[in-house]
Amino acid sequence: MSKWFANGADRNLGSRARTLFTCALLILAAVICDCRAVSALPATKAMAIPAFARKYGLPCSACHTAWPELNNFGQVFRDNGYQLMNDRDSPIWQNPSYFPITFRITPNWHRESTSNQPVDSIPGDGTSATVSHNVTQAGFDLSGMDLWSAGTLYKNISFQLLPSSDPTAVWHFESAWVRFDNIKGSPWLNLKVGRFELDNLVSEKRFLFLSNNGGIYQIYHFNVPGSINDFGYGDNQIGVELMGHSANSYTRYSISLLSSNEGGVGLTNSVTPGGNPSSRSFDGNLAFSQAFNAGSWGLERVGAFAYIGQRPTFYQTSGGTQLVGLGNEPFYRVGFAGDFFFKNLELLPLFMHGHDNAYLGNGIASNSGPLPSTSRAPSFNGGFLEAHYYVSPQLVFLGRFEKINVGQQADIGNPGNFGNVTAYSVGYRYYPIMFSRAGLAWHNEYSISKSIGIVPLSGDGTGLPPLPLPNSQNVWSSSVFIGFDFDF
Amino acid sequence: MTLKKLAVTFALGSMALVTVGATSMRAQSHVNSPDVALGTPSVDSTESHIGAVTGHAAEGKKLYRRFCIGCHGPDGNGLGMNAAWIDPKPRDFTEATFKCRSTPTGTLPTDDDLYDAITRGFVTTNMPSWRPLTPQQRADLVAFVKTWSPRWAKEKSGTPLNIPAETPITIESILHGRQLFQKLECWKCHGPQGHGDGPSASTLTDSKDNPIRPYDFSSGSRFMCGVTNQDLYRIFMTGLDGSPMPSFADVVKPEEAWDLVHFLRTLQPLKSQEADLWQTYKAAHGADIKPIGPDAAAGGQ
Amino acid sequence: MRTRYFLALTTAVLLGSGMLVFANPPAGSGTISGKITYTGTAPKMKPIDMSKEPSCAKQHATPVMTENVATGPGNALAWVVVYVSAGDQGSSAPSQAVRYDQKGCQYIPHVLPLQISQQLQIYNDDQTSHNIHPLAKVNSEWNKSQPPGSPPIDTKYDKAEFIPVKCNIHPWMHGYFVVLNTSHYAVSGEDGSFSIKGLPPGKYTLTAWQEQYSQQTQDVTISGSETKTANFTFKVLPY
Repeated sequence: MSKWFANGADRNLGSRARTLFTCALLILAAVICDCRAVSALPATKAMAIPAFARKYGLPCSACHTAWPELNNFGQVFRDNGYQLMNDRDSPIWQNPSYFPITFRITPNWHRESTSNQPVDSIPGDGTSATVSHNVTQAGFDLSGMDLWSAGTLYKNISFQLLPSSDPTAVWHFESAWVRFDNIKGSPWLNLKVGRFELDNLVSEKRFLFLSNNGGIYQIYHFNVPGSINDFGYGDNQIGVELMGHSANSYTRYSISLLSSNEGGVGLTNSVTPGGNPSSRSFDGNLAFSQAFNAGSWGLERVGAFAYIGQRPTFYQTSGGTQLVGLGNEPFYRVGFAGDFFFKNLELLPLFMHGHDNAYLGNGIASNSGPLPSTSRAPSFNGGFLEAHYYVSPQLVFLGRFEKINVGQQADIGNPGNFGNVTAYSVGYRYYPIMFSRAGLAWHNEYSISKSIGIVPLSGDGTGLPPLPLPNSQNVWSSSVFIGFDFDF
Repeated sequence: MTLKKLAVTFALGSMALVTVGATSMRAQSHVNSPDVALGTPSVDSTESHIGAVTGHAAEGKKLYRRFCIGCHGPDGNGLGMNAAWIDPKPRDFTEATFKCRSTPTGTLPTDDDLYDAITRGFVTTNMPSWRPLTPQQRADLVAFVKTWSPRWAKEKSGTPLNIPAETPITIESILHGRQLFQKLECWKCHGPQGHGDGPSASTLTDSKDNPIRPYDFSSGSRFMCGVTNQDLYRIFMTGLDGSPMPSFADVVKPEEAWDLVHFLRTLQPLKSQEADLWQTYKAAHGADIKPIGPDAAAGGQ
Repeated sequence: MRTRYFLALTTAVLLGSGMLVFANPPAGSGTISGKITYTGTAPKMKPIDMSKEPSCAKQHATPVMTENVATGPGNALAWVVVYVSAGDQGSSAPSQAVRYDQKGCQYIPHVLPLQISQQLQIYNDDQTSHNIHPLAKVNSEWNKSQPPGSPPIDTKYDKAEFIPVKCNIHPWMHGYFVVLNTSHYAVSGEDGSFSIKGLPPGKYTLTAWQEQYSQQTQDVTISGSETKTANFTFKVLPY
């Protein structure tokens, strides 16, 4: 991964720009390294589990529109704590050789191409002038692997454990939690403790895209350039969640109390070694959705969410070594989303507004006195519209359009469109088998993103800001991905 | 190769591949393996009517493929790929014999009976509750399920059982119900205390010769066909077709049937008015109660 | 002159017999009879343990034997239903009900042939409840409880089928309803013999059905009031 992040910032820039870019790099590096390797797929996508199909004898398509995306029947199963509630959930009903474990990995061929990347004019000569050039790489590759176990420890006590690796088999715990389901016999009270995905109406873990540029929702990881915020709405967090749903999950709510450390472990903000120490503060997430029966069209769901968090802006240190985060400054993300079915066509719109405090947004310690006059509290607006067309339970066509506009730049000296992102994805998944014992999908995808002045979220190319400066240069980054996505 | 050229190539290549794939798919449904097609149902099209909702078999066919085929099979005969590992076996729709009905034994169930079965699921079996599907989807599945047997085209559904209003829950009703339990020899299969351990219980087989156990009242689990007293009434009055449980409609008068319902509730470890009355009675008259079984001239007093 | 007289006589006779032929419908006076036998070693029938139902056990001085392959002297095979399966003529509609008894926890008769739409009356002659559960697949499958002292169950079938009958309470009870669309049938007795009467002249296909060894067919032509013989031999296995 280190080869994507060249040594330091560009020497041609002024020091502030350099600081900004370095900070942006570090943030992006932190975000990306947190849960996925840059040169390969996001590895954290295991959420389709043939172990459940094996346990209950249902085909994959019973719970998934197209695995790993859930349909409402699968959503109710998940909300009930992986229980069908038919007195057949206990593992004693299973063959003794049954074990609730699944793995998923996607061998593939992919091609990444990024424009306006700073490269040495003479290849191999680091002292030669830096010029702007496309960087293209392609070849056969592996994704990371998810080794997922989930199910019930006991009636109404469910669990999940998901160690996940990057393609080089470096492991971390993507998710690990225990959940007390149907407290007091009511589906409205369920308590989950551990590391888990936020209750997003549109889940990034169970979606249908895998490429470097398409396998992430841009808006779920966006931070305005200059911000040292490492928050990603699509990242798993660590804490507790109180969640409830109606019997058929038409109404759902979720309230979470989380550590302000981006789901990090070891009291740091990272799941792999080398993270910064976390602060002692908490974040909160609220989510609510309601589904409506639209007759022969299907089920229509709308939801709203609000995440309020804080991040440290400086650290208590001893001899320069960081001990604990201090100077917490707040941020929030709010928005609404939907999941609409028109027979075989599914539309998933999402809109989000994000806002960071000015200290956080500019990476300035909150104990360093008043802010520079050019600093502002950055904000952004954006979202996506995703479409799926299900020709059959075994063939689905995909498309997505994403747009993010920075509303308020962190520094008023930045161009108004600095950091803006536009992205497109198209693809399809064909499932040659729809078998209760295992799953296989042939995945084809083309995704392209345009970022203005920043390293694309996929981190492809050199991992450096684009040439030429200043920071209004478009970077086009595209991925072509063809792979066999299988899970057992 | 420029980005544009690559995009165009990819798009064209994908379209070609998809066309090939879709063409071969139109020829056969790739369920289980590429060579298994969804079997041909016996009757071309039917509708179902549940309340204000009309279901259509054509829509139901797509839903069946998504949700039902793993157990009930591509030919609707209960021989899905997972059926061999499931007990009790999935329903064979080609025989049009259904357990949970409101209609007399040997007759077809109503659309509502099938809809309720799909919605409720069957506890202690692998058939889940499909309530998370919309009512339209469930009605479409009912319409499609009916296409698997020619009987639906030629026969009308049976006339739903007329259930009179429930009689009051009194100790007399419970005691009379206990007499019926003895006289009708329910205990031969269900056991004197309803534990499912009667003399004939161990040799019971269903209509496909699979071993089957009678309901164990002491488990307190929900009945296959519901949870209310009305559901219990219907179970023994219509019988569970396809299983050893017969219909008692010809031998029990409708008002008397409520007495049997009230007694059966005392066999379950659930809080109920019937259980309370029975406990009180037992505390006062325990020594006088004759046990149920082959030696009793008549159960209870 | 003698020739003319002879011709007139012949014509008269012919006309007369012709009138006889057309005046009455084919009366059917042909008979097919025969014997059902087996070759090979027949499985041994086992004694039925009725101890779970004492009220039935005590009705039998010696235990009743299973009847799935019922044999008789001279390699005879009993309970084989022989019926006209093709070329049937002159079949009459059923006029009477047939009776099926549950007695001594056995089905009497073990195999009951009956016609489509023929009224079937099922009696419980025992002191114990039975449930009568004919396992039809083409007709409707139903299952009714019949406590002692209940009135007979009245029913009928409207499609031809071989229907196994069982009682779930007493798992050793096995019987058959053989629903046929002809009135020309017979069941072989303990000596293996059967006789189908009342057949008008014609070419008939006879089918013999035994519950374990399936079916065999034979073609028989009847041309008057004759009695034709048709024997069937089943190959049996010792299990």
